[in-house]
Amino acid sequence: MARMKFLCDVERCINCNGCVIACKEGNKVPVGINRRRVVAINEGRPGEKSVSISCMHCADAPCIAVCPVKAIYQREDGIVLVNKDICIGCGYCFMACPFGAPQFPSGQVFGARGAMDKCTFCAGGPAETFSEKERKLYGQNRIAEGKPPLCAAMCSTKALLAGDADVISDIYRKRAFQRGSGAGAWGWDKAYQDK
Amino acid sequence: MNKSYIALWAVFLASSAIAATAGAVFCQDQLLFSPGHESVTAAFQQFSSLIVGDWQQNGRLFVEWQPALFRNIFFWTIVCVPLVFLVHYLAIGPKSFSHEKGEVFYFGVFTRLVHWVAAVFFSLLVLTGLTMVFGKLFGGGALVRSARYVHIVSALIFAIDAPVMFLIWVKDMLPKPYDIKWLFMMGGYLSKAKRPVPAGRFNAGQKMWFWLSTLGGGYMAWSGYRMFSFGAETGALRVAAIIHNFLGAALAGFFMIHLYMSLFAIKGSLKSMLTGYKPREEVEILHSRYHAD
Repeated sequence: MARMKFLCDVERCINCNGCVIACKEGNKVPVGINRRRVVAINEGRPGEKSVSISCMHCADAPCIAVCPVKAIYQREDGIVLVNKDICIGCGYCFMACPFGAPQFPSGQVFGARGAMDKCTFCAGGPAETFSEKERKLYGQNRIAEGKPPLCAAMCSTKALLAGDADVISDIYRKRAFQRGSGAGAWGWDKAYQDK
Repeated sequence: MNKSYIALWAVFLASSAIAATAGAVFCQDQLLFSPGHESVTAAFQQFSSLIVGDWQQNGRLFVEWQPALFRNIFFWTIVCVPLVFLVHYLAIGPKSFSHEKGEVFYFGVFTRLVHWVAAVFFSLLVLTGLTMVFGKLFGGGALVRSARYVHIVSALIFAIDAPVMFLIWVKDMLPKPYDIKWLFMMGGYLSKAKRPVPAGRFNAGQKMWFWLSTLGGGYMAWSGYRMFSFGAETGALRVAAIIHNFLGAALAGFFMIHLYMSLFAIKGSLKSMLTGYKPREEVEILHSRYHAD
């Protein structure tokens, strides 16, 4: 089965934050939660670069390892999802994640954190596909509709690629070959060491 | 007309020359970073320091320890400590003291009240804490989430109560030379004989429990608050979580020791914390230095 991955081409990303807005708006993510963010370096100077970052859907994901209630799981296609009915909001996944992906809404009880929220690769969640509950808790399920994630789909420069790892790495390889620079995609050596 | 154009042209040239010189002087380091020549590796390093940060320092440690180590420590603590006591109870048995020699007033009303508030909420902290540690067994969800809420509220009340308890007992809990002797003879609990053991108002075991539960409890409250509020750098949060787990296991262990001692090992020990009176014989043997102090 295809292994889903994100790839952000830093040579193309123009720090427009369109991916952040698309994700937030399309998935109706609450205020204060960003499933995706853009990090920029050397802003306003030569050598300015930016990278769009969210959950990397790692192989051997640290968040899955540290979760004390097994609320986080990985699908066959590599997508890492959280079950909000099981999550207790302890925050260990946030401490374990090297990419700062897990997000927490402020909860209703004593200001304690609610269930963890993070990028779903626009693959919904463990609730029934296309159900009201899934839409409300996890956002759209575009993967089930046969569409790419919102962020990558709307990326104006197609810096952000999402989908079958073989396909997107092939696109990236062609680009790198044509440009003659920018060999490795950011984060890949860390997130996908295994496969 | 022509002259004014030339003058304007001259001013324009002069100002651009000044600007270019100033640019070259002030932005010399930037001229070295023209877009064509910058290193991708350097950019990736900058991204890594911004996004991943100091994860390498203790993130790996946390990820390696949390899945198994913490749970194992808690598991063996709650299995081994009661097992040791079961063996002790069967092999040596509890101590009981007669009330015929009269009684000694040991705990005032306020002390008892403060103790029982701490006792109730500390018990809740241990139970809900263990529920979270073994959250997988309960399948997570509402039960474990509620345990987390109870943990937070209990911690708040314990954090108010514990300092009062600390102030009431701190003078009697200061270490004394004979405490070492008490530790070497394990407080006389390894023999059935009723020989006086060297202890003041509180013995060395009680002192260890006191310091661990007040100072350790204080650190638990502090680290717990950090984890609850995310009020620190992520690296500091990981350290807080790691120490919170180790210290929590130690506290759970000592909590069970305290339970065994007060409920089983010394008959009527629970009563002394309810009524405030201990049998005179018990004080003479288990707290032989109390009057001498």
